[in-house]
Amino acid sequence: MLVAGVGGLGATVSQLLVRAGVGRLYLVDDGIVDWPDLNRQVLYGEDDIGQGKLQLARGRLRAINSGTEIFLIEGRIDENFVMPAGLSAVADCLDNYQSRFLLDELTPEGVFLVHGGLHGDHGQVLTLQSGRSQPMAKIFAGICQPEGSIPVTPDNVVIVAGLMVNELFATLFGQPKLLNRCLVVSLADFHMAFLDV
Amino acid sequence: MVQIQFYSLLRMLLKQERAELPPVEGETIAQLLERVQQQVQTPFLDKLLKNDGSMHAGTIILVNRHNIHHLNGLQTPVNENDVVAMFPPGAGG
Repeated sequence: MLVAGVGGLGATVSQLLVRAGVGRLYLVDDGIVDWPDLNRQVLYGEDDIGQGKLQLARGRLRAINSGTEIFLIEGRIDENFVMPAGLSAVADCLDNYQSRFLLDELTPEGVFLVHGGLHGDHGQVLTLQSGRSQPMAKIFAGICQPEGSIPVTPDNVVIVAGLMVNELFATLFGQPKLLNRCLVVSLADFHMAFLDV
Repeated sequence: MVQIQFYSLLRMLLKQERAELPPVEGETIAQLLERVQQQVQTPFLDKLLKNDGSMHAGTIILVNRHNIHHLNGLQTPVNENDVVAMFPPGAGG
C-alpha cells in the first residue's frame, strides 16, 4: 500500500497498517517535524523537532514490525510523481486538495484510493476507484484549500485514521464499504452519516 | 418531493439531517436554498453564499451525486425526487 502523507492521518494509518502486518508500505512526504505537529502526529515526539518525517517514520514503524518492507518516497505529490507499480491500495492522508486531486488522477485504474479529511472534530472517509468512481476533483469541484493551518483534534485524527485502515483492509478483499459513499463523522455529537457521490 | 441533506457543520448548525420540500416548477438551486432557509428557520445562506450571490469555497452542493459546479452552478434546475446534498468537507490531514 502507499500512504501519501505521514502527518496526522498518515502517521496513524501507517502505524496501524504495520501493526496489522501489511507486507509492503510506500510512504510519501517531504516535511519535517514541527511543534504544532505533536498534538496529533503520533509517530513523533519532542526530540524529533526539525528532523525529516520520512526517516523518523520508517524507524518507528520498523521498531513496531520489522516484517513490513518500508520504502520511502521523499517529495510531494505533483506532476512529476511516479506511482509505484503493484499497489493494492492508496491512502490519501494529504493535507491539501491540489495534491489530493493529483493523487487520485495518478492512482491506477482498478486500485482503490481511500481518502481521509479532517477539520476540528469533523472528518470524512471516502473510497474511489478509477473506472468506477467520479474523479475526486469532480466530486469536490469548487472547493478551495483554506488558508493557514487547519485545527484538528488528536482524537479526530486517530478515529478517522482508524476508519481509513478498516476500509483499506476491506479493499484488500475487494469489498470496500465506502466505494462512492462518503462516511461523514462528527465527534461533537458522535454522529455518522453516509453521503453517496 | 425534493430531499435536502445537510452534513457535518451544516447539520450541527441547523440541528437536522434533512429537509423535504415540494418541487416548484422551474426552480433553481439558488431559489431552493432560500426556501430551505425559510423552512429550517435558521439563517445559513450567509455561510454558503457571498454577498454577490456566488458560493463560498468551503461547501460542495451535489444534486443526485453530481457537483453543481459541473451542472449549471446555483442556476441548476431542481426537479421532483431530486436529492440535494450540502457538505463542507474537512481539508486537513
